[in-house]
Amino acid sequence: MRAKYLKPAILVSIYLGLNHWSAAAFAQNTDASNLYQRGLAATCANCHGTDGKGVVEGGMPLINNLTSEQMLTQLKAFKSGAREGTIMPQLAKGYSDEQLETIANQLGKK
Amino acid sequence: MDRRHFIGQSAAALGLLAGFSGQARANLQKAEILVIGGGYGGATAAKYLRLFSNNTAKVTLIEPNASFVSCPLSNLVIGGSRTLADLTTPYDNLSKRHGIKIIQDSVASIDADKKTVKLASGKTLRYDKAIVSPGVTLMMNSIEGLAQANQAGVTLQAWKAGPETVALHKQLAAMRDGGTFVISVPEAPYRCPPGPYERACQVANYLKHNKPKSKVLILDANQDVTSKGALFKKVWAEQYPGIVEYLPKYNVTAVDAKTKTIKFEVQDDIKADVLNLLPAMSAGEIAVKTGLANSNGRWVNVNWLNFESTAQKDIHVLGDSIQVANAMPKSGHMANQHAKVAAAAIVAELSGWEVNPAPVLTNTCYSFVNDREVVHVASVHQYNAAEKTFKPVPGAGGLSPAPSTLEGVYAWGWAHNIWADSLG
Repeated sequence: MRAKYLKPAILVSIYLGLNHWSAAAFAQNTDASNLYQRGLAATCANCHGTDGKGVVEGGMPLINNLTSEQMLTQLKAFKSGAREGTIMPQLAKGYSDEQLETIANQLGKK
Repeated sequence: MDRRHFIGQSAAALGLLAGFSGQARANLQKAEILVIGGGYGGATAAKYLRLFSNNTAKVTLIEPNASFVSCPLSNLVIGGSRTLADLTTPYDNLSKRHGIKIIQDSVASIDADKKTVKLASGKTLRYDKAIVSPGVTLMMNSIEGLAQANQAGVTLQAWKAGPETVALHKQLAAMRDGGTFVISVPEAPYRCPPGPYERACQVANYLKHNKPKSKVLILDANQDVTSKGALFKKVWAEQYPGIVEYLPKYNVTAVDAKTKTIKFEVQDDIKADVLNLLPAMSAGEIAVKTGLANSNGRWVNVNWLNFESTAQKDIHVLGDSIQVANAMPKSGHMANQHAKVAAAAIVAELSGWEVNPAPVLTNTCYSFVNDREVVHVASVHQYNAAEKTFKPVPGAGGLSPAPSTLEGVYAWGWAHNIWADSLG
């Protein structure tokens, strides 16, 4: 009786255990990773508003009318020098392409 | 082991796991988070703790002032082109929109062992996490006679925007034509590196239009202009010839209030009409008193991933009070950026997650060279895991090529947006 159940029990145990742990780890990683992404996009908020919602007629160009794709194109153009500007070409060069993509995904018009 | 036994164990294990993640959530919701100081660092930290926790963290902000007055742009009030009202933002949106409890009081002491904060009013509050963002203390004793001269109303600093800012403008307005307005710059690091030079421009702009025989004398303890040097020097030569005079390596050691005489380490005495003497600075008083200033007794060393003090666990320090990393200025913009990294790290930690291993900071700083034209300096700072510090990204950041009115518009755009980001 013991021996009969032992093997499947171990298998079930491994299955359940892995499944549970990976699900928990996944949930945790997703939440944590969302937080990191929000944190990265928040580096833009000083000038362009919390969550990209800038002060209307505040004097700073608004970015919340751009889709993520449009925003990424502009950020890359600032980074490469294709688009001129005052501060943005200087700031865009400080981020990796992956970081710019994250920012555009976070702040682009949904 | 039989099946029933096994299922029982698995259920127990699952229960334990569910309990564990539930516990982490509970830690975030139950934790008492106190934010001490509602400047660019503290106000932003309070707001972003709420945002990043999806409004579940309990956040209390302790701030002695009824409303926020911006130090950036306050030189325009001294020069007379703006009023303090233009730079003032109420704190009430932090409570109304974001559910932050605001206590208008100052902190008398922090007991880091008991994890309590005693307010000036006598009340004691408990904390699980404290964020200390008290700005700077002006070290009045670093210049002999300065405290007495201040009491006599002869000298003013106006390095924290408020009534002194208005009072300094009044002294400028009352000065005789042909008089000398002195600004002394302490050795770096100090709050707002380009601030004294921008102030010289604002005073000069006022004098140019109102008292053209007068002078602004910049007495700098440093070897050279500490920020935007070439740009400021060009502006002084082109826009304010004969008005601005810049003297490097002039370290003020004493002031005589009766004769309005300034004494130096090396050079002969100088007399002036308006004396705006800036002494050396340190971390805000509460940080020093709590034993957090473990860098030279003046600034607070922090862990750059979460801004936790290296001297005390669960006390996170932001903004001008910290010992900065390489090329990191003590600025309002930077304090706002520190706050977001710290807020995200605290939310992660209380949720049982790893803190972001690769945070990023930016800095932008606009200086008005007259009432319309502006120059900027900008930088991006990425965390370097090998060196455990933030490092400026080579090739990124930089300066304006020249002053422009377009950047004057952006400077106000920056102000309106950062005030909304920190307080709105």
